[in-house]
Amino acid sequence: MSSHPSRRDLLRLVGAAAAVPVLSSCAGAPATQSAAPGTFTVYWNAGHDYAAYRKVIAEFEQANKVTVNLQKYQWPDLRTRLLADFASGTVPDLVEEPGGWVQEFAVSGNARSLQDYVDRDGQAMGFPSDWQPVTVERNSYQGKVYGVQLHLTCNTLLYNKAMLRDAGVEAPTTWEELLDAAKKLTKDGVYGIALNQDYTYMWPWLVQAGITPYDLDTKAIMEPRADAVAALQFQADLIHQHKVAPVPVSSTDYSGPQKLFSAKRAAMILTGPWDLEPIRKTSADIELGVAPPLKNKTAATQAAGVSMFVPAKAARPDLSWDFIKRITALEVEQAATKETGMLMPRKSWVDLPEVQSDPVTKVFAEALPTAKDSSQQVRLTGQLGKWEEQLKVMYQQVLIQNQPAAEALDAFVKAAEGFLR
Amino acid sequence: MGTRKWLLYALLGLAGLVTVVPLLYMLSLSLQTEAETLSANAVLVPESPQWGNYAELFTRAPFGNFIVNSLIVAGVITLAHLLFDPLVGYVFAKFRFPLRNTLFVALLATLMVPFFVRMIPLYVLMANMGWLNTYQGLITPFLMDAFGIFLMRQFIQPIPDDLINAARIDGASELRIYRSVILPQTRPALAVLGLFTFVFQWNEFLWPLVATTTAEMRTIPVGLTLFNQEYFTLWHLTAAGSVILFVPTAVLFVCTQRYFVRGIALTGLK
Amino acid sequence: MRSRTLYGRYARTAYLFLLPAILFFAAFFYLPIGNVVATSFRTGPMADQWAGLGNYTQALADPAVRHSFLVTVGFSAMVVAGSIVIGLALALAIDQPLRGRVVFRVLLLVPYLTSVAIVGLLWRNILDPELGVLNRALGAIGLPEQQWLNTAPLLTIAAVTLWQSVGYTMVLFLAGLQGIPETYHEAARIDGADAWHRFWRITLPLLAPTTLFVSVMAVISGLQAFGQAYIITNGGPGDATDLSVFHIFNVAFRTRDFGYSSAQSVLLLMVIVAFTVVQLRAGRRGEVTY
Repeated sequence: MSSHPSRRDLLRLVGAAAAVPVLSSCAGAPATQSAAPGTFTVYWNAGHDYAAYRKVIAEFEQANKVTVNLQKYQWPDLRTRLLADFASGTVPDLVEEPGGWVQEFAVSGNARSLQDYVDRDGQAMGFPSDWQPVTVERNSYQGKVYGVQLHLTCNTLLYNKAMLRDAGVEAPTTWEELLDAAKKLTKDGVYGIALNQDYTYMWPWLVQAGITPYDLDTKAIMEPRADAVAALQFQADLIHQHKVAPVPVSSTDYSGPQKLFSAKRAAMILTGPWDLEPIRKTSADIELGVAPPLKNKTAATQAAGVSMFVPAKAARPDLSWDFIKRITALEVEQAATKETGMLMPRKSWVDLPEVQSDPVTKVFAEALPTAKDSSQQVRLTGQLGKWEEQLKVMYQQVLIQNQPAAEALDAFVKAAEGFLR
Repeated sequence: MGTRKWLLYALLGLAGLVTVVPLLYMLSLSLQTEAETLSANAVLVPESPQWGNYAELFTRAPFGNFIVNSLIVAGVITLAHLLFDPLVGYVFAKFRFPLRNTLFVALLATLMVPFFVRMIPLYVLMANMGWLNTYQGLITPFLMDAFGIFLMRQFIQPIPDDLINAARIDGASELRIYRSVILPQTRPALAVLGLFTFVFQWNEFLWPLVATTTAEMRTIPVGLTLFNQEYFTLWHLTAAGSVILFVPTAVLFVCTQRYFVRGIALTGLK
Repeated sequence: MRSRTLYGRYARTAYLFLLPAILFFAAFFYLPIGNVVATSFRTGPMADQWAGLGNYTQALADPAVRHSFLVTVGFSAMVVAGSIVIGLALALAIDQPLRGRVVFRVLLLVPYLTSVAIVGLLWRNILDPELGVLNRALGAIGLPEQQWLNTAPLLTIAAVTLWQSVGYTMVLFLAGLQGIPETYHEAARIDGADAWHRFWRITLPLLAPTTLFVSVMAVISGLQAFGQAYIITNGGPGDATDLSVFHIFNVAFRTRDFGYSSAQSVLLLMVIVAFTVVQLRAGRRGEVTY
């Protein structure tokens, strides 16, 4: 057992302790965590360990004569780790991120620009021409590409066909129709709709209302303001005034509405493709309907989904890039979709038979071009963390605590003006 | 008298129920099918117990490694505490030396800083040492702590000075006095210290999360996060892992519990 | 007393015995804490720009910091009061000559052996108003359903904290009770004092040192509570359960402002030290030496 440090280790410890400077100023030379030359370290989400990706990894290992150390985490844990790595200078070779971190770490200098590789290989692999434009924009900073989108998801309306049929309503296409349908569907312990406790689920509503969250040039926040207030109040009213939706409960998971839907206690939910698998697993008998995003001022939705980037201090960016190229190939996207139903960022993916023949995936795929990134302008200021923190508070104050939307939004804008200055 | 006794039983029974029922629910979750755990109409008793959930832990992840790692890390740290904390506590209880009170206050102050605040500098230190992803990296930062030293000091203080002085007159060395006069009297307190230290380290999450870089080196609490998907939790597996996590601390507790009240009663609190 | 040389020899022995501990605490506590203090004067995502006292002045003026501090004080007050009242009540009950009291002692302490994370997930699951087991059970016996995580979130996470830790407090009080010589009670009984008077006049005063220890430890851990907000409520609804340490964690690892989070940690450290010193002063008559 190597757990007892030898005396030499202790001496080294004292030496190293004396040498630890302030947080930042350590580790000059690029140091990859898997200092062992044969290991290639990848941080990955624990939910994305697909067989399709395992196959790519095996091929990558063989081609490059390395062993891939796939470290799987939940997003908050992955972030905690990564920030510790950035502080110490021992970084992984490649990181999967939940959306938004690429620009954040490009701004802070922790992500490596991939523009040289894109210039070299872009044409052959179809980047950026074959990627949905929103995915390229959200992974670029000052005209350079820093990350490549792996999955592209969006949020739309799922409904229980039998319930709608019984209530004699069509799948809603506008907010008014949604409210009307929800009222008719709410009865006998069934809610017409269930909303999420997580603030990111407000974005589809806000983009449908034509809101620009933040404008870097004019510094306007949440404008047009009256429409933003109306969009938030509409959601709160579904819960507190019309009582066609349950009060959400603040927590760290997003599965509340899905569970109500699976239990046939909610007729409609607004969500992304990630909820399909649990619904099919728990309640295969539900006739699942998927409708395009709702229309208010426009028909639109929020872009989400994960990307990959290479830390600035990663020692073998050539290998990291090779990994990115392999795992974003169209055949891999196709295999992953077949395996899990996940949505993908390539334009040519939309035309695949797997996508076009699946009535559920098809609706999502057709919504992707209307998907917008909701926090890009804020990310570029480097203040995303504070922005999200305040948004979370504001969203829950309105939806859960029934504070008037105008009041809560005013307080939010005032706080945001402070740190976005 | 009779009714009063019944009232007491009712009160304690209710309290016992409130503490035990949620834990039984965890056990129930660990034996449900995935569909049962995901279903919105929470299932209280599984239709047929899924003992296979426990086996699945080991096929989905290197859970055997997690258990071994947890045992090594928490075990060695507990032994280290049993070795160091009484010695340091003894010095603070029975020796007079310059700066004694200052040092003791400085020691207590370390209890008042949340761990994650120290975590990044500690991580940088360990990275510079090349100790990431090693047992020594997981263990070394926790070899002693102020709580254990405080506990032992409180316990050793009431031991009469005469015992120590008599041994000194007999010509015993200081280390010998500690070993054969002090330590034998501290057994109940050591049981308490050992249990607390083990429970605390066994459940530790943040440090093993950042200090390990391969799945094979993870401990159980960190390994359990593998059973969360991006947007939902695999409850049946998480609960099964939690039950496994719970067993060793419970066994240790049942073994030490008779020392428990006595151990604390003697720590000089009275 | 002892001669100077003897004193010197003992002092040397003491330091010899202390040497490993001093080195250990220097490397793993004081150096990192010093690092945190140094970081608190810096700013930027890599904490590499000098900020002077900027983080401190910002923290003192920040309404979110003030709010989270008030939330933390409220939470700690509930946990400390609950620990003492419930812990003492259970200890008094279990101190009676009852059959099977060992079983109760074990049962009540069992939650303390489980991790805060698991306890949090478990209760989050149980308390969910739409999907949780509790409302199903309440509905089945005809009681109204609860929405505690929305209507009284801070009280609810304080209650969960108590659920986990009150057994530990009970054991401490039990130990204290067993240290009170029976003769005091005998004397009072002969004087004709009833049980109520005996409790207030004898038991409680003689328990003062235990009560002090319990409250000091409860305040220290209450002010540093974190897992309850991190696992159960995510600080919500709104910012209703935004406990200080949870807030500081988010400033560090979500907002990535290590300078600002370090400054807030230093301020919190000062508050906890102040609380502890005041408590120890107030309870000086008790024998918990400091």
